[in-house]
Amino acid sequence: MGAVTDDEVIRKRLLIDGDGAGDDRRINLLVKSFIKWCNSGSQEEGYSQYQRMLSTLSQCEFSMGKTLLVYDMNLREMENYEKIYKEIECSIAGAHEKIAECKKQILQAKRIRKNRQEYDALAKVIQHHPDRHETLKELEALGKELEHLSHIKESVEDKLELRRKQFHVLLSTIHELQQTLENDEKLSEVEEAQDASMETDPKP
Amino acid sequence: PSRASSSLSLQAEVFQALQRLHMTIFSQSVSPCGKFLAAGNNYGQIAIFSLSAALSSEAKEESKKPVVTFQAHDGPVYSMVSTDRHLLSAGDGEVKAWLWVEMLKKGCKELWCRQPPYRTSLEVPEINALLLVPKENSLILAGGDCQLHTMDLETGTFTRVLRGHTDYIHCLALRERSPEVLSGGEDGAVRLWDLRTAKEVQTIEVYKHEECSRPHNGRWIGCLATDSDWMVCGGGPALTLWHLRSSTPTTIFPMRAPQKHVTFYQDLILSAGQGRCVNQWQLSGELKAQVPGSSPGLLSLSLNQQPAAPECKVLTAAGNSCRVDVFTNLGYRAFSLSF
Repeated sequence: MGAVTDDEVIRKRLLIDGDGAGDDRRINLLVKSFIKWCNSGSQEEGYSQYQRMLSTLSQCEFSMGKTLLVYDMNLREMENYEKIYKEIECSIAGAHEKIAECKKQILQAKRIRKNRQEYDALAKVIQHHPDRHETLKELEALGKELEHLSHIKESVEDKLELRRKQFHVLLSTIHELQQTLENDEKLSEVEEAQDASMETDPKP
Repeated sequence: PSRASSSLSLQAEVFQALQRLHMTIFSQSVSPCGKFLAAGNNYGQIAIFSLSAALSSEAKEESKKPVVTFQAHDGPVYSMVSTDRHLLSAGDGEVKAWLWVEMLKKGCKELWCRQPPYRTSLEVPEINALLLVPKENSLILAGGDCQLHTMDLETGTFTRVLRGHTDYIHCLALRERSPEVLSGGEDGAVRLWDLRTAKEVQTIEVYKHEECSRPHNGRWIGCLATDSDWMVCGGGPALTLWHLRSSTPTTIFPMRAPQKHVTFYQDLILSAGQGRCVNQWQLSGELKAQVPGSSPGLLSLSLNQQPAAPECKVLTAAGNSCRVDVFTNLGYRAFSLSF
């Protein structure tokens, strides 16, 4: 267990500051110069070394402050990204709904188009047939003509009947006259014959 | 011995390849769950393809091959329909039923096999078309004996015979509102039959109308589809849209090649026939699109609109080859399944 964590620590330290330049080296140098300063003798050197150590320390503090700020910034950046991620999810869901809505609308529009085309197809066929009003008018006119013609026919037939009857009367009268004349002739013939026989009879 | 077996398997391979070369797929049917497609060919075999596997994102070449293939009939499988549990297939004179759940396991047997009452026992006419009438739970068969037979699906008895066609019947369609059945045949007439009175109520002799008749192609009606008030039919005469109540042809679709399958879809009419393409028409007569498939001629189209599997909503087309083209979006052919 201990070995694993050591490895982890080494790995992390290598990752952060592997090449030895930077904060780690600074802290090591500080420790070494502190030890040297403790062991040094003269006042002047000690003071300059002390100043140098203070400046190194402040450099370390500065870099630590910077790292803390960067850490803060990263946390806030993460929050920001979470927020954006949620917003995008919402808008994706919204877009899905819109797509479903649009699909329904497409189906509806297709139905409407189909109805329109069916209407057009029937209308085309109907247009080929002539207009109803005109046909009705033509029918009326034809009806009137028919009536008129049938009237004429009736009147002509009546006339024909009348003429026929008149001719019939004429012919029958002629026949009667003929009969009467024939009868008269016969009578007169018979009379003449009688007269002739009466004349020949008394002679012997 | 190894050489003999390898030459035998080579022979078998050659035989299979020859079979595939001369194969024609006559009929298709989608399973009630929407995830499988059955295809029947001229050798009497039925192959079940898994649409969900072939459409998934991890589809490989094997997903485009059938899950199972079996010998269903002795003759070609001309027509197939699916009920909510069964697949009904018909070929030379007989109709067989298979359970969908059983078919996916190898070595399934048919549930039943029936023959409609033919006029003479010597006749074995082919059954060209099957139609389900859900309101009365019956199946209508029509084919080479020029009659429509109705079979009750529960009892299996043949209840009606509708006579009137003078030549064999190619296709059937159901007019749901009335309910009436339309049948189109070789005699060039589309006949409407009222199922309740078992009588012919309307006859449309397509070849007698000048606008659509094409005497050089013949008068046969190869395909029919209806949308209650409208009917589209094609074959020898041109593909025409009819208004049923007035029996007038309203739109003639300018397609020279005879069409063998037609269907209404949303606001379009899809048709296929001689020629590689699936044609999409608007009701006004305009050609909206022509999408080429992989077979030189197409005999059947199937739209998978099963509500249980919306992800498998595809159009499949099959015909004079061993392949079934899958169109995921009507604009192009996505891929092909193959026997």
